[in-house]
Amino acid sequence: MIRGESWQKAEIPGPIKAFLFEDPKKLAVLIKRAKRPLFIVGYKATKISEEFNVIKYIIELARKIEAHIVVTGSLIREFENKGYSHIYLMPAMEVMDRLKDPNWPGFDGRGNYDLAIFIGFPYYYEWLMLNGLKHFAYRHLRTISLDPYYQPNATFSLPNMKIKEWVKFLDSLKNNV
Amino acid sequence: MARKLRIKISELESGIARIKGLEVSIGKIIEEWEEPEGPTPFPSLADLREWDLKLLNRYKPMYLPFCDLCCLCTFGKCDLSRDKRGACGLDMAAQQSRIVLLACCIGAATHTGHARELVEFLIERCGREAPLDLGMDVRIEAPITRLVCGIKPKTLGDLEDVLDYVESQIVQMLAATHTGQEGNNIDFESKVFHVGMLDHVAMEVADIAQTALLGFPKADPEAPLAELGLGNIDISKPVILCIGHNIAPGTGIVDYIEKNGLSGLIEVCGLCCTAHELTRYSRGAKIVGPISWQLRFIRTGVPDVIVIDEQCIKTDVPLEARRIRAVVITTSDKNCQGFPDKTKEEPDKIVEELVNGKIPGAFIRDPEKVGEVAVKAALKLAPLRTKFKALPSMEDVVEYARKCRKCRECERACPNNLPISEALTYAAKGDFSKLAELYDYCIACTRCEKACPAGIPIFSLIAKASERKMKEEKFRIRVGRGPIQDTEIREVGRPIVLGEIPGVIAFVGCANYAEGGRELVEMCEEFLKRRYIVVVSGCAAMTIGMYKNEEGKTLYELYPGEFDAGCLVNVGSCVANAHISGAAIKIASIFAKRRLRANYKEIADYILNRVGAVGIAWGAMSQKAASIAAGFWRLGIPVIVGPHGSKYRRMLLGRREREEDWYVYDARTGKKVYVGPVPEHLFYAAETKEEAMVMAAKLCMRANDTTKGRAIKLTHYIDLHKKFFGRMPEDIHLFVRREADVPITMKDEILRVLKEKKWKEMEIPDPTLLEEMVRRRL
Repeated sequence: MIRGESWQKAEIPGPIKAFLFEDPKKLAVLIKRAKRPLFIVGYKATKISEEFNVIKYIIELARKIEAHIVVTGSLIREFENKGYSHIYLMPAMEVMDRLKDPNWPGFDGRGNYDLAIFIGFPYYYEWLMLNGLKHFAYRHLRTISLDPYYQPNATFSLPNMKIKEWVKFLDSLKNNV
Repeated sequence: MARKLRIKISELESGIARIKGLEVSIGKIIEEWEEPEGPTPFPSLADLREWDLKLLNRYKPMYLPFCDLCCLCTFGKCDLSRDKRGACGLDMAAQQSRIVLLACCIGAATHTGHARELVEFLIERCGREAPLDLGMDVRIEAPITRLVCGIKPKTLGDLEDVLDYVESQIVQMLAATHTGQEGNNIDFESKVFHVGMLDHVAMEVADIAQTALLGFPKADPEAPLAELGLGNIDISKPVILCIGHNIAPGTGIVDYIEKNGLSGLIEVCGLCCTAHELTRYSRGAKIVGPISWQLRFIRTGVPDVIVIDEQCIKTDVPLEARRIRAVVITTSDKNCQGFPDKTKEEPDKIVEELVNGKIPGAFIRDPEKVGEVAVKAALKLAPLRTKFKALPSMEDVVEYARKCRKCRECERACPNNLPISEALTYAAKGDFSKLAELYDYCIACTRCEKACPAGIPIFSLIAKASERKMKEEKFRIRVGRGPIQDTEIREVGRPIVLGEIPGVIAFVGCANYAEGGRELVEMCEEFLKRRYIVVVSGCAAMTIGMYKNEEGKTLYELYPGEFDAGCLVNVGSCVANAHISGAAIKIASIFAKRRLRANYKEIADYILNRVGAVGIAWGAMSQKAASIAAGFWRLGIPVIVGPHGSKYRRMLLGRREREEDWYVYDARTGKKVYVGPVPEHLFYAAETKEEAMVMAAKLCMRANDTTKGRAIKLTHYIDLHKKFFGRMPEDIHLFVRREADVPITMKDEILRVLKEKKWKEMEIPDPTLLEEMVRRRL
């Protein structure tokens, strides 16, 4: 399988495609540069790998980069009582609608975000959300897909990879942030 | 109101002349209807554009481009990324809306073409003067037609005028998508609404015509239960399978069987909406399942003859039929499949050619002849096909599974990314459990097979591993009842408008589910238990019947079929969706006594502000689903789709925090009053069933709710939110207008939130978005 190609084969992207990050250290540098990062967590986040505690991972990474976390559905229960205060609940479509608006004040009233980090959505659903942002929010927002699939409409994406490799990548990313 | 007068003489012989097939259309006739005509009879787009812009100012499009290029003309391909414009000048937003309009034109044209064929077929059968009698309890026989066109159709012939109007408007809207026409995205969206409205007119025409004249149940809450599911098909008999939407060929089959004393000797079953219509037409007919059951059933090898009509039919059905040596008959100009036209040939000769394999299939446009050929072919073919096995043996499954190269191309082709590769690994070792698990989530598109470099017939393997499950598919569904009675509307109009019935939830659309059909059943049951009125149609209605509780009963056997709180109403096929929008319109007319005739804006404004109805098209797939949704939007009825519905390219979303978007006029005074974000969105793709349920409960709130009604609606919204998300919603302060709105059981908790949010009491106006509805100026 080609690493920098849409995971769902028919989801052919347009002329602007995501920059592929094979090296977690380089991605870490980029994430650290963000002033207002936001994690967007879909319902499939815990289904990617049974062994990997993705909730714990997201919170630890968010804590390191002082990111807000918005959970789009029922997984919000898993994020509670984990000692991190910047966790919000909002459906994905509503988050998208706000992210594309440069004047949205964010969840804390301090302004819109400059980096949106996606994880745990159905592939095609995330593909579309990222494409909406690619065209209508590109002046103020960059996006990253942290799923183990290449997402061509993100600004930056991981390659298609096996789960073990993905876990290793994420660990390295966290250690280098 | 004037309409065309049409005279048709089939055959007349006198001393001086012989006339055959004469049809004269002379000017117009005067409509006799005591209700004064409203402002917009047979409206053009411009007549209702102002209303559309009001809606679109509140519910703005949020685009999710499905394609970054435009390839519709030879200027292109044009890259529309970001702020670029194509050679024609169009930008990305307008292009997305343009594609939505194109999709809706396809959808509306499809229903209109269907309606036109049905009306012509019924005129041939019953005459142009045949009355549109929908039973004693349905006096408003065509609420949408009355509302849009301003006419009261009495006969089949009257429906031709209605279709003339719809067709001419669809042509205008389709023309707007041509290069160098409309360039504004919001105006494209307005046209989308217009096409959606036309679509509902066409659907209404189709369903009232067939209901009135083919003996379908007429608004009967106790319509009979029909057999549903693959396991109900008696494979010891010859089997005729009808796929599609148009009942005309189905009537030919059923009539031929009855006239020739063959009842009980042949199985007649259907897939997709034709199946609904078959069970409405004949007590003996059976439903195999929704659209995604096409290949499931064909690959079992059971059908001897497959009759396809129109819409949503897998276009490779003839190829699949050839593999099981079944015969295919096509019946619609819209779907000939390359078969020779045998309409004028002798039935016995056609049967011989089909059975002997001299022709790959037959295209027959005469429904009666279809009936005779299908039945005779099934009787001849069935004994010849008894030993034919279509699915592989279990040994073959293992052999095929061993060929798997673990390349995962199948998963990359699967719309739902199902773990096919893993299932094949298990199957190669003789464990078929994982393959069988896929059955519940697979939509039978067979994209996996086409992608497999090893040529493994993956779907056949899944079907074989699930053979037992398929045989156990024995359910019961309430037959589509058609319209809602005027008396039922009278009973529930008040509690709906005042909010005491928490809402009407309509589960409609196709079977393109992201996580299997069970989700739909769970949602349906949740709202039934909460005593919403639940209305269903199309493939969704079938899916809902395909699960049993511990006592072996489907929801149709557990809940009554009335249009009332806690009831489950199956209106019927896709075209019966018109009865759902029709019911909302009837509430305004019958309960509130608003004038219906050509009075679209006022009625839509009424529904938006007063009728707490929401559509959920959880597996919406088609262009028809898009146009159906658009018809609901123009009436102010929100629609929620499942995650695959995000591919419809844009949402119509409100922003609750933008206070200025949520003002209405108080019709009593003309004062502008803030009413909160009700309903908050018009079109919305939910990621999960939980999100859809919470959102549906929220979108049922309306500006006109009484305090008691709002308290009931808030109770459900908060309760569902807590149930699925484990916490109070953060926006309840926007929906509480007075303390009396607060549900008593949650009072302390909510008052605490209101205090934190610095909530202030709001007015409850007589809400309207239309300045002309204001009775007294300030």
